[in-house]
Amino acid sequence: MILKKIFKFLLIITVTVSYANALKQDEIKEQMTKKIDNVLLILEKKDLSISQKGDEIIKVIDEVFDYELMARISLGKETWNSLSDEKQKEFVKIFENKLKKSYIEKLEFYNDQKVKILSLKPHNNSRLQLETELVGKDENYKINYNFYNKAKDSEQWLIYDVELLGASIIQTYRQQFAGLLKEKTFDEMLVLLDSSNKKQ
Amino acid sequence: MKNIIIVIALTFFCYADEKYNDEFTQDFDSEFTNKNGEVFDPLSGYNRLMTNFNDKVFINVLNPVAKGYAYVVPQTARIGIDNFFDNIMFPIRLINNLLQLKFQNSAEETGRFIVNTIWGLAGFMDVAKSELGWEAHKEDFGQTLGFYGIGDGFHVVLPFLGPSNLRDIVGLGADSYVSVLSTTGSSDLNYKIPNTQLEEIGIKTYDVVNTTSLKQGQYESLKKDALDLYPFLRDIYTQTRKKQIEE
Repeated sequence: MILKKIFKFLLIITVTVSYANALKQDEIKEQMTKKIDNVLLILEKKDLSISQKGDEIIKVIDEVFDYELMARISLGKETWNSLSDEKQKEFVKIFENKLKKSYIEKLEFYNDQKVKILSLKPHNNSRLQLETELVGKDENYKINYNFYNKAKDSEQWLIYDVELLGASIIQTYRQQFAGLLKEKTFDEMLVLLDSSNKKQ
Repeated sequence: MKNIIIVIALTFFCYADEKYNDEFTQDFDSEFTNKNGEVFDPLSGYNRLMTNFNDKVFINVLNPVAKGYAYVVPQTARIGIDNFFDNIMFPIRLINNLLQLKFQNSAEETGRFIVNTIWGLAGFMDVAKSELGWEAHKEDFGQTLGFYGIGDGFHVVLPFLGPSNLRDIVGLGADSYVSVLSTTGSSDLNYKIPNTQLEEIGIKTYDVVNTTSLKQGQYESLKKDALDLYPFLRDIYTQTRKKQIEE
């Protein structure tokens, strides 16, 4: 009897731990609306410094981004596989910071504007795309979030790419990394990426 | 028995933490490889120089001018002027929508032009959008060529105008023929506003300053993402144009 209870307990824990932060397909629209609204609220707070706002925003959006996968795709399979485990980890970390910094800068810039969540559509076979629109002063800007299902037999949707006005962020980094790696070593490129994070 | 349960539970944990398998990353890799391949860029040397030149012009000339202008002219007026310029560019949008057989959009564009010109104070207000919900359908001849399967050619950075490519340069030429704001084709079309080339440049520069004043900080914020400015801007341009053509 007790064993059964322990078993149940463990099972529940495993399931909840592994899927605590993941989104289900029919939750994506609602959850992302909440998250984006939250982010806009944080941006409006006047008593916080920019870096404090950044930290709060990261807390809200962190769990839906798959930074490691984003780092992997933007580096390309060959380069990724040629790196040691440590280097891979280092790269993921620096790249993650870069993405976060850039995302916050964009949001800050579009501070007083509204975001409309348009629709969730199938994208590239097994993936989903959430279309959103930022209402600007003279025109609207399309921002699309691309999701993939991480868990095979259940649902755990995570973002692997963001498209701004049709330009994929990951694709843009991929091209830049490939170009840089023709002239520089990986370590030199990493330094460049890291130093761009420190610039204001 | 207890041990077995713990082992089972542990395997569950391991399962949840399983890393991406090879087949899976392969899938993503091909999704992103298909799109680019090696970029054909015979003018890269010149393009790089021109990108730097344009960057300097933007940061040191256009941006300060637009800032000063924004300081003097209230935002509502600037949005109105922006709407006015958009409205008189109607011939370009109509023709290219028609050429791409987008009849619904062509009709809506025509409707927008009539409504905004008559009830929107000669185009200063976009009442078609705010009251009727008719969105603009921006199409240019570069997109029309793309629609009929003509490729980019290669990337060319134009002085002052920024990123473009062979196909879009042809498009710019064709569009300026029907454009109200150019002098080309004035012998055939009598709705042209500028009489001389100098007037044309003046009007267009003013339009650019006005638009820039509404997008302050946008370029700077975008630029921060670049590790290497020229390929970064080239890539964004190529991807954005591709998307516009698809739509």
